[in-house]
Amino acid sequence: MTSVIEVSHLTKRFRDTVALDDVTFALEGDTIYGLLGRNGAGKTTLMSIVTAQSFATTGKVSVFGEAPYENARVLNRVCFVRDDQAYPSSATALHAFRIARLCFPNWDQALADRLVTDFRLPLKTNIKKLSRGQRSAVGAIIGVASRAEVTFFDEPYLGLDAVARQAFYDRLLEDYAEHPRTIVLSSHLIDEVANILERVIVLDNGRVIMNDAADDLRNRAVVITGDSAAVAAFTAGREVIHRQNLGNVTAVTVLGGMSPQDRAALAANNLEVSPVTLQQLVVRTTQDAPRSTAAA
Amino acid sequence: MNRVVNVMKMQLVNRQTYIGMPLIILSGAFLLTVFVVVLIPTDELKFAGGAAAAPLWYFLVVGVQALTLSFPFSQAMSITRRDFHLGTLLTAVITAGVLAVIYLAISLIESATGGWGVNGYFTVPGLSDNQLAIAPLSYFVIAMLMFLSGYGSAAVFKRWGALVLTIILTGLAILLTLALLLSVRSGTWDVMVNWATAQGMLGMTLWGLLLAAVLAAGSYLLVRRVQL
Amino acid sequence: MIDEGKSLFLQIAERVEDSIVDGSLTEESQAPSTNELAAFYRINPATALKGINLLVDKGVLYKQRGVGMFVTSGARAALLAERRAAFADTYLEPLMAEARKLGLNAEDLAALIGERFNERIKQ
Repeated sequence: MTSVIEVSHLTKRFRDTVALDDVTFALEGDTIYGLLGRNGAGKTTLMSIVTAQSFATTGKVSVFGEAPYENARVLNRVCFVRDDQAYPSSATALHAFRIARLCFPNWDQALADRLVTDFRLPLKTNIKKLSRGQRSAVGAIIGVASRAEVTFFDEPYLGLDAVARQAFYDRLLEDYAEHPRTIVLSSHLIDEVANILERVIVLDNGRVIMNDAADDLRNRAVVITGDSAAVAAFTAGREVIHRQNLGNVTAVTVLGGMSPQDRAALAANNLEVSPVTLQQLVVRTTQDAPRSTAAA
Repeated sequence: MNRVVNVMKMQLVNRQTYIGMPLIILSGAFLLTVFVVVLIPTDELKFAGGAAAAPLWYFLVVGVQALTLSFPFSQAMSITRRDFHLGTLLTAVITAGVLAVIYLAISLIESATGGWGVNGYFTVPGLSDNQLAIAPLSYFVIAMLMFLSGYGSAAVFKRWGALVLTIILTGLAILLTLALLLSVRSGTWDVMVNWATAQGMLGMTLWGLLLAAVLAAGSYLLVRRVQL
Repeated sequence: MIDEGKSLFLQIAERVEDSIVDGSLTEESQAPSTNELAAFYRINPATALKGINLLVDKGVLYKQRGVGMFVTSGARAALLAERRAAFADTYLEPLMAEARKLGLNAEDLAALIGERFNERIKQ
């Protein structure tokens, strides 16, 4: 599978901050990626630069093998709708979809119509007058119905209730199964999307700190809970990314899988092992928690 | 070309901006003028000079809004800055063109009826046949210059921010005032007036067209580097 | 429903195996497609595919070109055998670990199991 997008040593500096710091990765075709990280980690900036809506300070972006800047041939195979997307002031959702239909070669009107029903979106109301969730729905519908070969979703579910969000994931998955493409979901609601992701890229302070298969990350860390001394003994020499104490009991998040011997040792010491969800893993590796290799 | 037309359709979603308001302003100014000149009980020439200029000033606003209201959405539609620029200018040309045609129609009627029978004019009176033909073109060029000034200012704003825009506009105002003062003092002003008269309506209109082209090119260079 | 710590594709494979073992998916019948599994469990189709391929490699399913995946004859028996072999590791070890904590020895355990079994038969 050839890379559809390649980002190489991308750096974006604003006056006094570094939004992206030497970011390098590649996106393959027909894959659903999660682009995760805290607010301000650089996710939107990254997506904006890849789609030539913003420019990098240094570094290279290549989309379908070409530079995306002012490159219509390559750009209309890509779709990026922001979470705070601005629309023309008199535009209704209907207008927006009509324009999108003209601009995206793979646009599927039937799919858009189905999604409008799913989201109960009022088509003829001015977008400015729509609720936050309804406005998100407009962007989400454009993203899905565009069937662009690479589609970026920037927190498209803000304001959508849980039912609408589930409808979005279901429709997205359904359409992805019939029409595989590259989808990048940037989200805070990590656990909701964890199972539909194939690969995960985590940004923290503008740097890529994780770029792995989602399935591998399921075993990336465990929580070991039990008597503090026993926990300390067991976790000596392991990389601890989070620690919580309650009296004599400590819960420690540790990187690394547990071998059968490990599990036996844990059981023998009355230590409990629990899995770490993707959300917990991302949260604990991006909190400003000091990393340590020895139990304190 | 298709994409450029798509940009035009996108701009025209803002129907109020491009069609509604200009027509409202134009018809408002026109009706008011006719109303007034018909009422004034004298047979002398009555010319409401500023009225026809009203929609022209509005084009300044249209220019600003063309960039601020639609550019971010065009980016979401994966439209290049080049296509956006061309499509937007095309929309302005067509809208200004329509206004110019309406202006031509009114001027022909006014010329034929001798100012609505009361020697009252909305369009410029007393033009020769030649000038009558050129007047709508001048109207068009002025409208485009207003549009491009608004569009260009918005481009400076989006590219370099409010401070730079203020500096540039203030700077321009100061320079022009100074130039005016100096030229009047030194007598260059009279030279320039003579030159302009010699150029005639057509000549000045063509110079205006050139200026418009320069503004269009300059604003393109700015839009090319606007980031969201 | 889904275990957070275990590979998703393994769990999908296990679910399909579960349905073969409990008889809801009979031999020589068609297994759910990748897309159906993905939609049902709300997972990425690639993960579902990985799970299915695992079962194909294992011989539990076979592919009929242009039609889909089918359950191999004898798969149920093979799975039962496999699970019986793993039974001790999967269920007995944790049972014994807990029993040890509570101070129950082998005889105590056997007695408990016998008791429960008889109760079940009576029901």
